[in-house]
Amino acid sequence: MDFRFDIIIDYLPLLMKGTLYTIGISLAGIVIGSILGLIISLGKMSARWYFNYPASIYINFFRGTPLLVQIFLVYYGLVPFILDTTDAIIAAIVALALNAAAYTAEIYRAGIQSIDRGQSEAAYSLGMTHAQAMRLVILPQAIRRMVPAFSNEFITLIKDSSLVAVITAPEIMYWSKAMAAQYSRVWEPYLAAALIYFILTYVLGKVLSYVERKV
Amino acid sequence: MAAVIEVSQLRKAYGANVVLENVSVNVQEGEVMVVIGPSGSGKSTLLRCLNGLETAQSGDIRIEGRSLMDKATKLTDIRTEVGMVFQQFNLFPHLTVLDNITLSPIKVRKQNPEQAKAKAIELLGKVGLSEKAGAYPNSLSGGQSQRVAIARALAMEPKIMLFDEPTSALDPEMVGEVLAVMKQLAKEGMTMVVVTHEMGFAREVADRVVFMEQGGIVEMGSPADIFEQPKQERTRAFLSKVL
Repeated sequence: MDFRFDIIIDYLPLLMKGTLYTIGISLAGIVIGSILGLIISLGKMSARWYFNYPASIYINFFRGTPLLVQIFLVYYGLVPFILDTTDAIIAAIVALALNAAAYTAEIYRAGIQSIDRGQSEAAYSLGMTHAQAMRLVILPQAIRRMVPAFSNEFITLIKDSSLVAVITAPEIMYWSKAMAAQYSRVWEPYLAAALIYFILTYVLGKVLSYVERKV
Repeated sequence: MAAVIEVSQLRKAYGANVVLENVSVNVQEGEVMVVIGPSGSGKSTLLRCLNGLETAQSGDIRIEGRSLMDKATKLTDIRTEVGMVFQQFNLFPHLTVLDNITLSPIKVRKQNPEQAKAKAIELLGKVGLSEKAGAYPNSLSGGQSQRVAIARALAMEPKIMLFDEPTSALDPEMVGEVLAVMKQLAKEGMTMVVVTHEMGFAREVADRVVFMEQGGIVEMGSPADIFEQPKQERTRAFLSKVL
């Protein structure tokens, strides 16, 4: 078997551009998803049914259905419904963010509930409101415990972002498919994609484990 | 003297399990009331009701005249007046000793940070831990942790202090240093409600001793009355086991 490095070199500018899109889409997805996830986890932990029911349904839906289906729903359904037209990159970010929100919501909940009850009781006994106790006492401790789970979620999200190629978001996998089609080759385009994803997740893993030691 | 804490006919139950039944007691300003009794007698629950960490089903609790059962009463207002010290210290592990003490004065009382810090350092001096201001809680012994917890509660300048078995989680050699701080506080006229198994402390410091069993107050009186001439058989039986 001959391995044609020349077609990889040919496609390198496009693959690099795709890599930037992958990074951008994943980063936007995890940031928006984490913010949304915090709100959903607070809803899930609320004693009021009109907060915790919707939160539970949300989490169950997004964890219980395939991401690919969610991507289609967002690309063909949600985004056109709101914008009147659709856009692959917006849909990719929205779908990944909505999905990550469900998973990060459970990470927040586990982290928050792992903090001893005595901590919030001490905060209340010092006159703090629920919100102050959460912000000043519980979350600073809980976030440290959440970092490893967040790292996992972020790495998973980068790999899952390859699915948005099917809605033509111009990221790594999209250009690999284009390359495969143009040259009728299999190994070069997909091994190149695999290598780029591996480098991304490996470097990110190292960075995050450094962060884990710091906090 | 005015009653700063008024508890009347308090009842609390978890389902069918009654933890407080018909509890009525007043605490006067400057009084030190020590609550004793076997575990499960409801004494910690009663204490936790006094600052709203637990809510009762019926009856009333008034702190300086304001009812905790009244929905219009803001619990956060009550709690700034009522300090609490816990068995497990509950220091905030992510903050230094100094920040543990100044957090609420700055965020809740809205004191300026310099003023709060000066007050915290003064309080640390009072509990004998001036050199620990920059330390984190995990480097402190149990006795030191509890003294910091007392300083932290005092920083809010409460009118009443609640102590929930403050020495029960301590190694025996550290009990004395915490009790010494509490004695000092009592001497300064702080209104205190103390749940404890330290009968020596009750005898020496209490103005009044309350004996509880099975969710109710069995007997209360001066330490001399309770320890020397208990009227109730149940009180006598309990004291014979612990003394």
